[in-house]
Amino acid sequence: MTLHSTRPDARTDLLHGTLDMLILRTLQWGPQHGYAIGQTIRAQSADVLQVEAGSLYPALQRLARKGWVTAKWGQTEANQRAKFYRLTAEGKRQLLREQSRWTELVNAIGRVMKPAAVPGTEG
Amino acid sequence: MSIWSWLKRRRLDLDEKDFQDEIRAHLTLAADERMADGADPRSAQLAALKEFGNVLLTTEAARRVWIPRWLEALRDQVSDVRYAIRTLAKNPVFSLTVIGVLTLGIGLNAAVFTMLKSIALSPIAGVDGSARLAVLFGETSTGRQVRVSYPDYQYIRDHASAFSGLFGTALVKANLGRGRGARQIWGEVVTGNYFQVLGVRAERGRTLLPSDEIAPGRHPAVVLSDGLWRRDFGADPDIVGKTVEINHVPLTVVGVADPAFHGTTVVYDVEVFIPVMMAPQLGFMFGSQQTTPSGILSDRRAALFYPQGHLRPGTTLASAAAETDALWAMLSRDRPLTDAAQRLRAVPFSQTPNGAPTFLLPTLGVLSAMGLLVLLIACANIAGLVLVRGVSRRGEIAVRQALGATRARIVGLLIVENLVLAVPGALLGVLLARRGIPLLAGYAEQLAAPERVFFNIEVDSLVIGFAALVACLCALVFGLVPALRSSRVDLVSVINQDASPRGAARGRLRAGLVVAQVAVSLLLLVGAGLATRSVEAARSANPGFDASQVTAIMVDVEQNAYDESRGRVFYRKLLDAARADPGIESATLAENIPLGFLDTRAQRVAIEGYEPGRGEDLAFMSNSVGSDYFRTLRISLVAGRAFEDRDDETAAPVAVVNQTLAQRFWGGPASAVGKRLRVGEGDWRTVIGVVADVKYSRINEAPRPYLYLPFLQSYRSGMVLHTRGAGPVDSLVDRARAQVAALDADLPILKATPMSQMRRGSLIIFNLTETMLFIFGLAGMALAAMGTYGLVSYTVKQSTREIGIRMALGASGQSVVRVFLARGLRLGVVGAALGLAATLGASRLLGSVLFGVSATDPGSFVRALVLVLGGVIVATLVPAWRAARTNPLSALRHP
Repeated sequence: MTLHSTRPDARTDLLHGTLDMLILRTLQWGPQHGYAIGQTIRAQSADVLQVEAGSLYPALQRLARKGWVTAKWGQTEANQRAKFYRLTAEGKRQLLREQSRWTELVNAIGRVMKPAAVPGTEG
Repeated sequence: MSIWSWLKRRRLDLDEKDFQDEIRAHLTLAADERMADGADPRSAQLAALKEFGNVLLTTEAARRVWIPRWLEALRDQVSDVRYAIRTLAKNPVFSLTVIGVLTLGIGLNAAVFTMLKSIALSPIAGVDGSARLAVLFGETSTGRQVRVSYPDYQYIRDHASAFSGLFGTALVKANLGRGRGARQIWGEVVTGNYFQVLGVRAERGRTLLPSDEIAPGRHPAVVLSDGLWRRDFGADPDIVGKTVEINHVPLTVVGVADPAFHGTTVVYDVEVFIPVMMAPQLGFMFGSQQTTPSGILSDRRAALFYPQGHLRPGTTLASAAAETDALWAMLSRDRPLTDAAQRLRAVPFSQTPNGAPTFLLPTLGVLSAMGLLVLLIACANIAGLVLVRGVSRRGEIAVRQALGATRARIVGLLIVENLVLAVPGALLGVLLARRGIPLLAGYAEQLAAPERVFFNIEVDSLVIGFAALVACLCALVFGLVPALRSSRVDLVSVINQDASPRGAARGRLRAGLVVAQVAVSLLLLVGAGLATRSVEAARSANPGFDASQVTAIMVDVEQNAYDESRGRVFYRKLLDAARADPGIESATLAENIPLGFLDTRAQRVAIEGYEPGRGEDLAFMSNSVGSDYFRTLRISLVAGRAFEDRDDETAAPVAVVNQTLAQRFWGGPASAVGKRLRVGEGDWRTVIGVVADVKYSRINEAPRPYLYLPFLQSYRSGMVLHTRGAGPVDSLVDRARAQVAALDADLPILKATPMSQMRRGSLIIFNLTETMLFIFGLAGMALAAMGTYGLVSYTVKQSTREIGIRMALGASGQSVVRVFLARGLRLGVVGAALGLAATLGASRLLGSVLFGVSATDPGSFVRALVLVLGGVIVATLVPAWRAARTNPLSALRHP
């Protein structure tokens, strides 16, 4: 993922990538169904990130296609039928990759936005 | 693992039902949560649905996740093709015109390519890699190409290391069968390794083998062609082991050759293959007359055949030639014959002396060039059409651009449209070639009848690939430039409904297309004009004799086992009977018929008192003829007297020579009479007369020395009876036939036709070439006229507004027409000038296939010029007139 690219593909990659990362992160604590994933992201971001169903479900399909998650129908605690997504081993590795990249990106942006800050602030 | 199970395991698409279930579950969960917060079920459900958003769009987005990118691109293409087909179907006139033009252009090119391919790549049907065969022949000091004798062939075969195998073959006319059913067929007298070197297998029995080349006269075997086996023997399954008679010698059929194989002569359909060891028994004579038939296999002066073979891997033709040259030098040391070949040459098969490829390749080269020109015109034509259409589609393209289509996408769409037009054009073109080639071949076969010919031409996958390639190139050429122009649409001018071409560039392109079409069509028209003149010239050329009202009845008394004395009696009686017929003016006999296409045997001639230079070529063709020969064929006597009945075997030996021979050795006809010459090792003969030159083999041959011997002093068993009479020539033929039958009912008549029919064979290549040139010229002219008309009339139509303004300002209709005519003519004249220059540049190429007409023949040029400029004038006048007659106001209002 590069920021300086202006190709439309790269731009969507950035958006997709971020959402994918959030979903993978949410699944780190165990299998969840789509609705719960959306709710978790919302709650953890203090209602800032509201993931629309129109983005969430295609993203889940994309992750399933890449083999990062697997899906299985099951029962919720309230005895409702729902489709649960579980992180695969490859998905875990991907999450780690995304995380380190994200950190790099945030640091880079941080440096740009705070040029007066103490140079050499790492991590 | 089957593809099906792989597909099943690897999901390629969204599981729709599962996905809808998941959405439903999501909605239930969301509604439940709201109800838990105290909402009533109905509003909870509505809120959940509202929060979810558009279910259809979500499903669509999920579905797209599963579509690979290339598939998406393909779907774009498919929709482009579908759109293109729909648009083109809405303009049937445009589409059909383009397809028709392409069909013609591609069809003609595919036809020529097919012929070129078979002659250049696979000249011998049924033999792999036949184009790579090398051919050896001797060359005399005057450049005459001579055959190699059998002993010399054997020596070269056994000592040349450059060839993996060297076979020999000689084309002969063989008499098949005996009695009334006998007929003449083409045969090849071949060495034992012939089939092995060529790699031709036997369909039945075996081929001839090296073991059939051991002892002279001891191998009475023959291989039949598949065609002969089917036609004459009803595909008899037990043919192997049966006996056929060839030249009255019984030969055992050892096999039938592969059906695809028709011999190595390229044009003649060879039907029997005879071991060379049988040549003496069968009485074939190849070399000079000084050799008796039995000497053919041992006499080193008896020219027999052109050795042919494949070069060993890693050997070049040049190194092979160096080796054979060294061998030849060794052979020549103990044979200081004056007329012997000075050197041995090795050439590729396509340059075989007297071979069909040698004649055909230059012709096909010219035809290919013409074909490409026709295609060029077709492309220019279509480019014009696309350009014109591009202008009328500017609105659509502007809308596409406004909606965000990139230029690449629009150009892509236009190219797809062109391909949609090109593909059916290519298919129909191949179909045209497929239909046309048998038609041409049939025409050639008809011309050659009753000789059997075979053409190894077939539309195969290579031709189809060629046509497809040409079609794609065409689509690119005629489509790309106009497409690029069309895609550069000026939105403002379109919105202002300004239909006049704004950019001068578009006008220049159109003018360029008109000029190019006029130029190329002039070139093609001159070519077609010259072709027509050439055919006329060949047809009406004076061959030096008059064949009208003359018959040609061919017999060979050896067919009924006559010896020489019985033969002499037979021919004496035949002439007497013919001359006694009141309907017959004169009758005579001849060994050879002039204009026979193939050269007849040349014999070494000694001239008394003439010391030939070292290596000087003194072998000339001759003819054994009866008295009255020159009177019957109307060959004029220049000096001395003609043969008479008194010039018989008891009289002093005499000869008649032609003007060229008399000129060369004695300085003129008058001084030639009374001089002496000797043919081979025969008696010295006194020249009693000099006659005018005749075209002996081909209508386009250069004058050459020739001599005649009296039949009574040089008996041949096979002769042609010529009779001349006043009545219908067909009834003359029937009468002459009846006279032969009256003398010997069992003697087969090998041929009986009006003599004028015999000439056609020598014209066959001319006729074919000129027919093709004519078709090309006509096609090119039709295309160019159409294209020029379309472009010019479109320009005029585009200028309706200008016409309106001119007329509103007081210009008369006439002056408007004059302005446009001047513009059109200017383009026409520029095009014609370019075309003239190109034609003059190509005249040397054209000259190589023309006969009796100069490639710069002014008549053909003037006619072509008139036609081309006339076409431009009509193409300008008609639309200009129509425009000038419109109401100026309406022209201004509705541009």
